[in-house]
This record gives sequence, structure tokens and C-alpha cells, in this order.
Amino acid sequence: MARAESLRIAHLDSFIAVYHRSSGITHLITAPAPEILATLGEAGMSLAALGERLAQDYELGDLDESALAARLDELVAAGLVSIA
Amino acid sequence: MSDDSQDIMPPEGATRRRALMLGAVGATAIVSIRPALAQTAASVVTCEIPVPDPGRAGSYIAADGTLVPAGTPGAFAPAGKAFKGQDVKAALGGGQLPGTSYDQSRAYTNYIRRLQSGTSGFTCFASLQMPRG
Repeated sequence: MARAESLRIAHLDSFIAVYHRSSGITHLITAPAPEILATLGEAGMSLAALGERLAQDYELGDLDESALAARLDELVAAGLVSIA
Repeated sequence: MSDDSQDIMPPEGATRRRALMLGAVGATAIVSIRPALAQTAASVVTCEIPVPDPGRAGSYIAADGTLVPAGTPGAFAPAGKAFKGQDVKAALGGGQLPGTSYDQSRAYTNYIRRLQSGTSGFTCFASLQMPRG
């Protein structure tokens, strides 16, 4: 996840607005993006570990790895997550 | 917005697990709003960043990028001309600004990283930060 001090976060009912200071871009994110970002934290983790952790912390039903990978790809494309 | 937590998740009182939908492969959970800055790759390549802002041309640049009075020991004189966006992008990625020594380049790039809206070169610098260039 991008460094905490580079983000300004505002909780707006069903959305969270994330202003990324260095790019000037505002991202409006909704579930499961905030949950993924909070779980990844600044240290990050593998896709498998992320899936396991989300399954532990939330009621996911059947974990769909391709859907989780798609959500991660969106976060990477938005610049909020980087691939190590 | 005065009481916003800077945590990505709002605080929750309950400890039981709540449902979380990951969505379908084609769905999206993010909408991004970009400011009206440089829109094209050509603009990033040709935009320029003066070091320092012409309004502060008499100041020197300290190693940490702050502006200090001219002649301050350890600080560097202003760059002779503005740097091109592509050169700054390379320097921010670990390279060296053209025509500068290693320490001078570090001081100049630290100055550039501190640029704020309203200072000459900020728009160019912000454009370099765009995830898709």
C-alpha cells in the first residue's frame, strides 16, 4: 500500500475517498478495496496470504482467487498498491 | 471532514466477522478522479522544472532541498537552466540530473520533491507522478 503520509483519507458513507498527494489523484474506493488495503498494510503480502487473511477476518463465502487478483490489479493500476 | 481518521478502515466496535464480497472479475471497486494536468506523454517529456522557482532565484539549495541564503556552506547555487520532465523523472528513479554532480543532483531532486502547488514546476512534477505517465 502507498505510504500512509502520502494519502489523505475521508470516509463518505459507502465510499472512501483517498487523495494521493504526490499524484493529485482522488480515488473513490468501495468494498473490497479498503479491506484489501487495510489487510496489505505497508509491508504487503502474497496473493495467497492475502486471500487467507481476508477469509479469516471476513465472511468471504468461497474465495474466488481470480476476483481477488482482479481487485488487486485495479489497486495496482490506480497506484495505491505496488508489486514487490 | 475534521474528524476523519487517517486509517483506511473506519473503527468498528463489533468483533464478529462481516460479509465481504470480492465482486466479479469484470467489476471494479475504484473510480479515479484525475486533476486537469498534463494529459499526454509528450507533455511530460517537454515540461520543465526550474531549480529554484524564478521568484527565489537568489537562493541556494541545501542538501535536503530547502532554500537557504546564497553562499550558505554546503548548499548549491541555482541550476543554470530548468530541467526537462523526462530528466527529472529519471533522476527521481535513481539517476542523476544532466550537468550536475551526484550531491548537487540529490539536493536538486530533494528540492523538486518538496514542490507545492503554486510554485513554478509543480504541475510538471505532479504530472511525473501519474501512475500511467
